[in-house]
Amino acid sequence: MPRAVKGVLIECDPSIKAIILKIDKDSGHGYIVEDLDDETLVVKEPKLAELKSRLLRGLVCAVDDDDHEGEGAESASG
Amino acid sequence: MSGNIRGLPPVTFRRLYQQPATALAIFRRMLPNLAKTFVTTLLYNESPVALGDLEALVRPESYREREDAFGKLRRLHIITENHLDVSLDPVFKKNFRLAGDHHSFGVPCNTEDKKKITVQFLDDYATRQFEAILHYMVGTHNEVKPSEGVITLLTKGGLMERYGAGSQATITKHGFSFLLQDGNPQIWALLIQYLEMAEELGMEQTDVLHFLLMLGSLELGQAYSVNTLTETQKLMLADLRDYGIVYQRKTSSDRFYPTRLATTLTSESGGLRSASASMSNAITKDAEEGKGFIILETNYRVYAYTDSPLQIAVLNLFVKLSTRYPNLVSGRISRRSIQEAIKMGITADQVIDYLSAHAHPQMRKSLVTLPPTVVDQIRLWQIEGERMKTTTGFLFKDFHSTQEFEEVAKYAEELGVLKWKKPSRRCMFVTRHEQIADWLKRRASAQQQLQKKVAA
Repeated sequence: MPRAVKGVLIECDPSIKAIILKIDKDSGHGYIVEDLDDETLVVKEPKLAELKSRLLRGLVCAVDDDDHEGEGAESASG
Repeated sequence: MSGNIRGLPPVTFRRLYQQPATALAIFRRMLPNLAKTFVTTLLYNESPVALGDLEALVRPESYREREDAFGKLRRLHIITENHLDVSLDPVFKKNFRLAGDHHSFGVPCNTEDKKKITVQFLDDYATRQFEAILHYMVGTHNEVKPSEGVITLLTKGGLMERYGAGSQATITKHGFSFLLQDGNPQIWALLIQYLEMAEELGMEQTDVLHFLLMLGSLELGQAYSVNTLTETQKLMLADLRDYGIVYQRKTSSDRFYPTRLATTLTSESGGLRSASASMSNAITKDAEEGKGFIILETNYRVYAYTDSPLQIAVLNLFVKLSTRYPNLVSGRISRRSIQEAIKMGITADQVIDYLSAHAHPQMRKSLVTLPPTVVDQIRLWQIEGERMKTTTGFLFKDFHSTQEFEEVAKYAEELGVLKWKKPSRRCMFVTRHEQIADWLKRRASAQQQLQKKVAA
């Protein structure tokens, strides 16, 4: 009989997946249930929120500049 | 409610079906139409019906709906199967036939109440009680403070959390998205939590469910007798009074009145929209006056004609408020304010639904209530924050053969639960697993029987 494992399927860009793999490796493999292919993987459900926030923190550094730009554009239009 | 009930063990189902009102409520509220047809076909048939005969009622191309209907009936233990014959669960059958004239629908009080209770009074009471809970959640001061029982319920349910005993509770992520929901789902969310707590409080879970489902079939404005209730149910009255679901003048009173919150509980799914609409009529002040209060302009500015602390607190979740006048608050929606809201677990659709549900009559005059550019932008802001797509479910792996994999994948696809598959690795991801597991088991036992036959 085949086995069923509970989890959350994540579909994302390979770049995002690379970051997830790194987070998983740094934390001692606490997140990933199964690595499926370049753009898909399954993670533990209770860990999803934590993974998302760590991912966001990792990404914020990269997009911080354009965030300020957004705010500036808004005040100009208002 | 459905997910909650489905997980119960079979014995509990038998106990549930002992009450005609419960059998009827589950029939009305939890079964798809096709499953209802099967139940009514079986209802007055004394002998079992062949599975093939039932399947013949359904067009071949609708196999997906058919499997879904049978799956639900099996999981709710409404049907029992013996080889290829199907019959209704005897307990369910007996009580479903009784549904219509029985005490489980509450016994109305025949004697006149000394003080006449009007529907208007009940609506006001329900609104006041329920709003007190919402006000408490957003931390505004209100003359009615919810009881300790309500606060425990909110904290247990994860809608609020308390750091250390005795300290003030604060609202959580779940609490925020709870606030943006309609009245009816809100009440069910609270009641489901109540149901889960019931056992801790030493109450019989089936008794609690019976009572909740019975409330849905009572009549608004009619007094019902307390004497026919079980001890557990009498205990519940006190809690339900706090939520504004029933009204009793005194704790010792021998009658109770269901409010509109109660009588719309188990409305049919078709009637659900109108029920929740009538509920939000009863719950929110603005709708009582028959008008919305929010104006949203194409330049993302928001004007809200309100002085209700509750409405202002809800708006503050996703609008950056800047000015407050005696009867008006104004602010703007920005990328940051929306993304803050999303971080708290609120979705763009919830924001848009809230805005359009409470739009000012002036906005309703135009063909589209909300400016499309703003609506699109709110959705885009959400997508921007989501760099990945997530689906909760189950990963199936370790198939013996490619043939087995393909068969299961085909079945999952027919059920509409297949999300992702990769034949080269014999892996697939499905959103629900119960039916596939059932199917695999039935298939395995069929194969075993076949092998035995061959051996013999």
